[in-house]
Amino acid sequence: MTKMSAVQRAVFTAVCIGLCVVLPMAFHAIPNAGVIFSPMHIPVLLCGLICGWPFGLLCGLAGPLLSSLITGMPPMAYLPSMLIELATYGLVSGLMINLVNTKKLYADLYISLVVALLAGRIVAGIAKALIFAAGKYTLAAWVTSYFITLWPGLVIQLILIPTLVVALMKARLIPERYPVQG
Amino acid sequence: MRMLPTGEYIPGHSFLHRLDARVKLPCFFILMAAVIGAASLWGYVLVVAVIAVLILLSGLPLPAAVASVRRIYGFLLVIFLMNALFFGGEDVLASWGIVQLSRGGMEQGFRVVGNVVLILVLGNLLTMTTLPTQVTAALASLIKPLKFIGVPTEEVAMILSIAIQFIPTLMEETELIKMAQIARGARFESRKLPERAASFIPLVVPVFISAFRRAEELALAMEARGYRNAQNRTRRKKEPLALRDYGALTVCTLICLVQFLLRRC
Repeated sequence: MTKMSAVQRAVFTAVCIGLCVVLPMAFHAIPNAGVIFSPMHIPVLLCGLICGWPFGLLCGLAGPLLSSLITGMPPMAYLPSMLIELATYGLVSGLMINLVNTKKLYADLYISLVVALLAGRIVAGIAKALIFAAGKYTLAAWVTSYFITLWPGLVIQLILIPTLVVALMKARLIPERYPVQG
Repeated sequence: MRMLPTGEYIPGHSFLHRLDARVKLPCFFILMAAVIGAASLWGYVLVVAVIAVLILLSGLPLPAAVASVRRIYGFLLVIFLMNALFFGGEDVLASWGIVQLSRGGMEQGFRVVGNVVLILVLGNLLTMTTLPTQVTAALASLIKPLKFIGVPTEEVAMILSIAIQFIPTLMEETELIKMAQIARGARFESRKLPERAASFIPLVVPVFISAFRRAEELALAMEARGYRNAQNRTRRKKEPLALRDYGALTVCTLICLVQFLLRRC
């Protein structure tokens, strides 16, 4: 496979949106897994990395919205801030993977992923401080909620997403980023 | 008996089947707001009565309408217990360390589970009485105004429609893989965080590979049938809304208003 077609990108995005609904349902049956591992973040970040920023953005917006409509998770009260966070993940991961070109697959993936994870958290924090909890949201609350409480999820995402990208490349489901010549 | 497929379209000629999807979708959101807005016993009586009437109007058998609820009863139990045991509150019935069983927690648990169940049944009624193609067309029609800011609305509607159709398949596949990994010794219930985290990877990787394989097959099938771009699609005819559609929208809006009036009482 050399390049993904528009239809493939659209269908892969649809699957990632579907996984945004299914993964949290599967992991909420495991005690605290939903809160600790943030399973909805994985398909969104992956979609941005694989399909590009427009599809990542769509996945970040539609995934939590659809999940909230179908399963009630996340609850409507948390939905707006989560939409902003996940949309930023999808958007920034897609933009970064297009911008970064170190000729090393893992370096590209990690740089894009770390920047996207930071950007999503910063944007969500700013949105909470200015809109959703204006005047009540502190820097300490932001650090605690996005970095201390969710550190297992952060580690899992950093391990799992590059692994998934490589596994999908090896399964020839997505094109190689740096194909071996000859 | 074979498990009924969750949310799959069941052909019929009932009132709900004949209602235009462009109206059914906004009605679904309005009734969902009524469910979320329920704050008293009478509020819940109202939404349960409305959903019961909708089930009758859909002509669907009750087991089909509530199939998705039966499938996730374990998850609903977990939600209830988490609320009942960790919500806190003043009216504590029993306590074990940080875990407190309180009346407020139990009420909150019933409320959350009730909302999830009612919204699931509403969602089921929507998808079981509406063809996915109608949902796509309705979504495309409802998000059409976004075209003015350059959003490819037809493509977005197509992606959402495929996503909705993929959900039951992905759920079944995830459950199968989870069972297979438990049989191989995965310890999802382990108390140790590293062990639990390690058990996460063998579940997620196969789920993604299998989901992407299905997506690849679907994309190939679509391309083989000449599908290129959603924006090039044409429609044979555009149906205007019927009187029943306007009636349904008005009734749903009134129900939502009554719900919010009940909140104030």
